[in-house]
Amino acid sequence: MKQKLVVIGAGMASGRVLEHLTDAEPDNWDITLFNAEPRGNYNRIMLSPVLSGEKTYEEIITHDADWYAARGVTCRFGEAVTAINRDTKTVHGAGGDVPYEKLVIATGSAPFIIPVSGKDLPGVITYRDLDDTNAMVEAAGKGGSAVVIRGGLLGLEAAAGLSLRGMDVTVLHLNGHLMERQLDESAGYLLRRDLEKRGITIKTQASTKAILGKDRAEAVLLESDEILPADLVVMAVGIRPEIRLATDAGLSVARGIEIDAQMMTSDPDIFAVGECVDFNGHLFGLVAPLYDQAKVLAQTLMGDPAAFVVKDIATKLKVTGCDLFSAGDFAEGEGREDIVFRDPARGIYKRLVLEDDRLIGAVMYGDTADGNWFFGLIKDGTDIEEMRETLIFGPAYQGGGQTDPLSAVAALPPEAEICGCNGICKGQIVEAIAAGATDLGAIKATTKASASCGTCTGLVEQVLQVTLGDSFQMPTAQPICGCCDLTHEDVRRLIKSQEMKSQEAVWQELGWKTRNGCHVCRPAVNFYLLADWPVEYLDDPQSRFVNERKHANIQKDGTFSVVPRMWGGITTADELRAIADAADKYNVPTVKVTGGQRIDLLGVKGADLPFIWDDLNKAGMVSGHAYSKGLRTVKTCVGTDHCRFGTQDSTGLGIKLEKLLWGSWTPHKVKLAVSGCPRNCAEATCKDVGIICVDSGYQVSVAGAAGMDLKETEGLAVAATEQEAIDLTVAFVQLYRENAKYLDRAYKWVAKVGLDWVKERVVDDLDERKRLIAAFDLSQSIYRKDPWAEHAQQVERYQPLADLTLEAAE
Amino acid sequence: MDVVIDTPTKTFIQVTEVWVPEDGVLKLVEGSYGDLAAFEETSRGTEFAKGEGLPGKAWAEERPVVLKGFDGSYFKRTEAAAEAGLTSAVAMPIFDEDTLKAVLVVLCGDDDARTGAIEVWHEEDGLLMLDDGYYGAAKHFEWVSQHTSFPKGQGLPGGVWVSGHPMLMRDLGSGYRFIRAESAGEAGLTTGLGLPVPVPHDKTYVMTLLSARGTPIARRFELWDARKVRAGDNAALLVDGICAREGTLGDPDNAGNERRVTAFQGAIGRVIGTGLPVVQSGQSGLSAGYGTMVAVPIHQGGELAHIVAWYI
Repeated sequence: MKQKLVVIGAGMASGRVLEHLTDAEPDNWDITLFNAEPRGNYNRIMLSPVLSGEKTYEEIITHDADWYAARGVTCRFGEAVTAINRDTKTVHGAGGDVPYEKLVIATGSAPFIIPVSGKDLPGVITYRDLDDTNAMVEAAGKGGSAVVIRGGLLGLEAAAGLSLRGMDVTVLHLNGHLMERQLDESAGYLLRRDLEKRGITIKTQASTKAILGKDRAEAVLLESDEILPADLVVMAVGIRPEIRLATDAGLSVARGIEIDAQMMTSDPDIFAVGECVDFNGHLFGLVAPLYDQAKVLAQTLMGDPAAFVVKDIATKLKVTGCDLFSAGDFAEGEGREDIVFRDPARGIYKRLVLEDDRLIGAVMYGDTADGNWFFGLIKDGTDIEEMRETLIFGPAYQGGGQTDPLSAVAALPPEAEICGCNGICKGQIVEAIAAGATDLGAIKATTKASASCGTCTGLVEQVLQVTLGDSFQMPTAQPICGCCDLTHEDVRRLIKSQEMKSQEAVWQELGWKTRNGCHVCRPAVNFYLLADWPVEYLDDPQSRFVNERKHANIQKDGTFSVVPRMWGGITTADELRAIADAADKYNVPTVKVTGGQRIDLLGVKGADLPFIWDDLNKAGMVSGHAYSKGLRTVKTCVGTDHCRFGTQDSTGLGIKLEKLLWGSWTPHKVKLAVSGCPRNCAEATCKDVGIICVDSGYQVSVAGAAGMDLKETEGLAVAATEQEAIDLTVAFVQLYRENAKYLDRAYKWVAKVGLDWVKERVVDDLDERKRLIAAFDLSQSIYRKDPWAEHAQQVERYQPLADLTLEAAE
Repeated sequence: MDVVIDTPTKTFIQVTEVWVPEDGVLKLVEGSYGDLAAFEETSRGTEFAKGEGLPGKAWAEERPVVLKGFDGSYFKRTEAAAEAGLTSAVAMPIFDEDTLKAVLVVLCGDDDARTGAIEVWHEEDGLLMLDDGYYGAAKHFEWVSQHTSFPKGQGLPGGVWVSGHPMLMRDLGSGYRFIRAESAGEAGLTTGLGLPVPVPHDKTYVMTLLSARGTPIARRFELWDARKVRAGDNAALLVDGICAREGTLGDPDNAGNERRVTAFQGAIGRVIGTGLPVVQSGQSGLSAGYGTMVAVPIHQGGELAHIVAWYI
């Protein structure tokens, strides 16, 4: 007597159940298979190649009509089951009821649709089945623009397919990097780079506000108020288990249909399998665990013991030319260790995550040959201590595979600019080498590369080494730190010329050996990026020293110092009162007048910082940035306002300069002073920029020092007007920001590049001066703001309404 | 499978040859001539210097060359070709960085019944433009193609360009770039094989072979990934393919279970081992019982990166 088995849903999981069942017990089962789609089981994960045109639907059919016929499966395709009656043990379909002895629910999942206005417009589709795929193919035939919402596995495959079909595609992704569930930032960066090369536009941190259109989708509106034209909107946001039938039938349901390890639901005659199930809080979207479930369910139905366990799964993306692999857990964590390998020339990134001598995660981009081997190590929990040193090179490691310290420079295209001063590209240097210039002197003589400021010397030498091989002996230059082989100057130059606008781009393209740098290189790279790309790059507070993160100088007893800004060293009675009140209120033990004409409140407790900032903000004061690698102070004398000897308004100029320059980040701290006459009461001649007012104008001098080194400033120029003095100062500061090595004070930097080189750009070349000022202004449009205010405001918002620790007065 | 029909048919390509540089000239090492014995004999007695004849031109100019109409051209074997009814030829140089490994030459006959396309696309101002192509009877499609360009990532040529990988497209008649798709559908062109043609210097060439049902270029196509980063050392993985007899050839679950061959294991293994194209004809033991196979290596970044093979 055959058992009556009814299966609801002809997806990949239930298809696999039927295969197992009809292979092992062909004569024991009377099977009826319902499917809401008017077709049987096909390989859903291959829909992307069908969308791109690299496969046909016929090629991805798993079970055709003959297969079902041969196995005696009664097919009720195109017929949705509307109810399950557990009392009568029947399922109800449009074509009539079917009795069951055992029932398998394999209803899969439904796409999640984000609840924005316009989501129901024609032209907005999800990506789940063949009908969706065909709808996209049809839409693509008309051309135009497509917007894909969410850059996950499915969304990116849809984007690549639509692009191949000839649409202009934009992917909107809410997170900071693509496929954030499967990839880390570095692999996400490479994937983005690859997809952008294909003409696909990627917008990360992009949140959809609405879909616009009258009769059909016409555009997508973002939270940033940007509007993207869209003839087609594909929502690939995610899936949720399809549980309506189970819920209606009174089965136990959580996020999905709850099952035990034998795939049994709360009804012992009803089983569930696939994307519709919830197993101990786990939901499933990839195929490998579904096949495991199918096997367990088939064995359960046949009365054999079996139990489903959740295993790690590996991910691959089906976009021709994008090779990525990820498996296991690669989140950062206590006691975890990374092994990183990058090859910028070949676009390769590999990262292994170790914990207790076991491999627990692997992310690979560009080189996935060993993916399955690593996956095996993760699944088996193999002890890798013995092979730790060579693990990242895979099982075929034969002793080679060392990273080439020159690979970043070798990877540069011929048009990559090496010498910024003279506009010389790598290709021109290579040509000069081919023509016989085989040392640095000859390159300088023939191309002028590295003949001006000299900061690209290291790069020119690397090009010589890459081109000439062993016949060129490279002088040893000091790399930034152990994370990379390049010097500060090399990194700066390449960030500019190769337009690297994110930390991930720098780590990858310049072959960093660590996942995301260290305490030495990260602050430097963060500064270089924000100085060169103020608009595109977002400052990363995590890459800053503690004082800059805390917006205060940490003292040796763990307390902090707070220094409000006093423009040009000028204060008022009201400000002094506010400072005095703050000192009283927060029990500040020491109040000190500084050498830079400020008042320093020393000994403030960390917890009090936001409150004292708030109080000082309310009195109109902002942070004095006494802790930052940025503009510190502009010291002034009283000038013509009060002094008998004053020749110009030195205080006024000092205030103007400080209001212009404050908030800007610089390679090291920057101090200014303006003296009203050559008696130099403001001690301007030992500052980074010092201005001495004279009868005929303003003597602007630069590169002084009065710390570990003592050095008088050197004359930059004499300005006839106050505005010119300001322009020269701003241009100098910007040139310093654009070119100096991180943590080089201005005097050290000028000593390296030479004052003449600085003068050429700041004084002689008026166009360059204009450009420098414009670049500084652009950067200041973002960075000229009070860091205290942001934190102080938060304090105000969360201020308790009443202090409940106080007792009522009698 | 409705893509190709498994019955003996006239083929679009009639002759395939592999010319290899040796002592400064190109020598014929392999060829498939069908029943064109006289042309084969002429060819076997011929050599080409750099710049000489069609193979020599592809070598000298470092690009794929399409030649339609041999009379009065630089084509050297004009008489023998005329007798064999061959009227057009395409030469594809195979470079490994700056070194020429071989020149693959295919010859076709002019026949109103033969439909197909062999196209050469090159990059110009950020777009892929048609260099030239041979289309047989697909005259309208030829005209449309001459007036089409592909941006990065779009269509078969654009997809090959950005991925740097060979690609196999099914169902050319639907959904690609409007008019060309429609016209391809009308011409009966169903399957398209696109392959990058790396040449020295910084130039982009893409070659496409578009196969029609009635006069197929091939009835089985295979794409092998031979990059070390995917297949390991001296090996290749069958990543995609379609066969009139065996259906789809890729790994159905896409789970890393692709067929793998190593150096000198079968015809594909020979390509891996030698880095040269292979043409086999009239021998038993070819996949799925086909009579002729052509396997073409694509060298990128100093290594054998891909192999495309077609069988008929």
